[in-house]
Amino acid sequence: MDQHQPTWTYRRLVNAQKLLCALLCCVFCAIAANAQDASRKRPLRWGADPSGGAPYVFTDPANPDRYIGYEKEMVDALAAAMGRTPEFVPSDWETLVSALQRNSFDIIVNGLEPTGDRARQILFSNPYYIFQLQLTVRQDDSRISSLADCKNRVVATLGNTAASRLLQQEGIPFRSYQDPVGAYRDLELKRIDAVLMDVPAEAFYARPNPKLKPAGAPFTRGLYVIGLRKGDDALKAEVDQAIDKIIRDGTLETILKKWGLWNDAQVEFQAPIRAGDQATANVEYTTTNAPFNWGEALWRLTRAAGVTVFIALGSMVIAVLLGLPLAVGQWKGQAWLRALCTIYVEFFRGTPVLVQLLFLYFGLPVIGIAMPGWLTALVGLGLNYAAYESQVYRAALEAIPHGQWEAAYSLGMSPTLAFRRIILPQAFRIALPPMTNDFVSLFKDTSVAFAISVWELATAYRELANASGQFLLLGLAVSAYYLIMSLPMAHLARLLERRLSNRSTERMIEAEPAEVGA
Amino acid sequence: MIRVSGLRKRFGASEILKGISFEVPPQTVLGIMGASGSGKSTLLRCMNGLETINDGTIECDGVRLEAKISHADYRRRVRDLRLKVGTVFQHFHLFPHLSVLGNIIEAPVHVLRTPKKNAETEALQLLESVGLAGAARRYPGSLSGGEQQRVAIARALAMHPALLLLDEPTSALDPRRMNSLRALLRTFVDRGHTMIIISHSMGFLGGVADNVLFMEGGLVVEHGPTDQVLNSPRDPRTKDFLEQAD
Repeated sequence: MDQHQPTWTYRRLVNAQKLLCALLCCVFCAIAANAQDASRKRPLRWGADPSGGAPYVFTDPANPDRYIGYEKEMVDALAAAMGRTPEFVPSDWETLVSALQRNSFDIIVNGLEPTGDRARQILFSNPYYIFQLQLTVRQDDSRISSLADCKNRVVATLGNTAASRLLQQEGIPFRSYQDPVGAYRDLELKRIDAVLMDVPAEAFYARPNPKLKPAGAPFTRGLYVIGLRKGDDALKAEVDQAIDKIIRDGTLETILKKWGLWNDAQVEFQAPIRAGDQATANVEYTTTNAPFNWGEALWRLTRAAGVTVFIALGSMVIAVLLGLPLAVGQWKGQAWLRALCTIYVEFFRGTPVLVQLLFLYFGLPVIGIAMPGWLTALVGLGLNYAAYESQVYRAALEAIPHGQWEAAYSLGMSPTLAFRRIILPQAFRIALPPMTNDFVSLFKDTSVAFAISVWELATAYRELANASGQFLLLGLAVSAYYLIMSLPMAHLARLLERRLSNRSTERMIEAEPAEVGA
Repeated sequence: MIRVSGLRKRFGASEILKGISFEVPPQTVLGIMGASGSGKSTLLRCMNGLETINDGTIECDGVRLEAKISHADYRRRVRDLRLKVGTVFQHFHLFPHLSVLGNIIEAPVHVLRTPKKNAETEALQLLESVGLAGAARRYPGSLSGGEQQRVAIARALAMHPALLLLDEPTSALDPRRMNSLRALLRTFVDRGHTMIIISHSMGFLGGVADNVLFMEGGLVVEHGPTDQVLNSPRDPRTKDFLEQAD
């Protein structure tokens, strides 16, 4: 037993060592395997705009917590071919490129067209789809049968697309929309004359609508590619390979057929790739390559600034004219009038102005009131600011000492005369600084008109900057415009205030009894 | 002739004026005295229609305001009454956004429809008579209290009232300014004006009023010629008040 003891111990020790080695091995293997796994299974983060994004990628109406679309299915197939899991990052069409550069996702898959100015900012994969453009008009419209008939009409399209560039090149007045739904709705409401859109979107949104019809056949051909960050060449190679694979094995054809997007153009495009000929992969992009024109951009900004000034001034007039009766109604009116005014004020102050504009623009047409965008913005902001102005006036009116009324009455003035000649002029002085303040912020608030496709300064900035990538320079230019507009206003108001206060009325109100007999 | 009879005024449950009657002969000054809360100011506010009366009548130069008439009728008569009665408030209530001249011509031009030129000429004469000939273009905020009071007097007189009411005109005047105000008011009486002046200062009333009325608890306690009321009051309450004053 005595001899056995050490041997046994020794063996046990050796065994333990072996066990430890084996364990360590296992751990290393596991780590190594994990690392390999991680690189293989790193998610493929892709960005696209799902709002109004059918049939590319959009919210499933039957199942609102998931996304569907032919590009969604295509990305699933691509990711499978790459051995990765797809991860969708909902984003915004106009800012897709900058979001990609900010690393919000790794690739853009959203019917992206390769253009010259995008090529300066990002990498393109090989193309995966040939799109065409389709012009749509109202069913009863016989004036327009092709783009040539649109020289003096307003055509709508999505901002920063091949279609918008084409319209710009042809010198056709156009309005940019955030999504096809709004564009086709405004066409129905006669706010615009025609819509030019990529065929996939046109096929989904316009063709089933009995009030609309295609004008002429689809025309021009362009490419859809996947966008990647500059320098991400490894991923580009991986993506190109995957595109090649899903074209060759017919997966893409199946998806496109399922969505009704398979056509002659796709057959012609896929044939050489399936035959193993890579030559067509390096396609030139021609129709959509318009260089950024600074002169024209500044001219468009200037016009947009004009629209901003017009909307701001117009809505201020409404706000001032409507604010005063609201203030007086709330201040001196009978109970029912006071309640009515209070409801108005609380409604317009308590709900976001953006929602109010959307309501006026999209909601009112339901009951037959379809105003153009600029008028909607003007009226909407006017109604909204009237609520704020009324509170400014009410505070100012209430600040006038009661003695002023009594003095006016005792001189035989009627309430109306006393109000007009004695109370109002004094209240105006008190209200002037907050009014100036509101007017300056109204100037800035005109930017919400962007939501209803009004081409004002903020919309212009967004579109031009997205088209050119010149966020910094254009941003400075736009800020300069806003300042040029608001600074003279503030200056003017200060001058007026100073002129009024030269009459040193404040001193009197404050020092009334104390100075007596001084 | 100015005549008040049986005037009553209630605020909720408390009656402030409990049946006031008096007369003011033309071209005379009636001084009203009384402790705080005796109802003097309410009486004044009833006389220019700023308070609605509950009972009694106020007659002034042919306008007769009485309680218990229709609302519309009452309002019409209040307007007429205000054209007959001018008021100089204790704190003047000048219009701060208007120049001195603007303050004076505002009501003649917009209420009486006097042509602006005529109103201005008259306003400048009034300013001269209150000793502020050079102040026409100044604004109330730049005037002293005494100057503001003179503008307020000129503003009220520009409407040619049959009766001028002055609420505590001496409350913040030093003795020298009190004397000059007394002289000023007397010149206007000599020119034909009739006045009611509320004041705590017996010295002031003694020199300006023809008659004095003493109020307490919403009632007239004593009313008579100035000399008699101030120097040999008949009612013990008046005597008591006078002994404690000045």
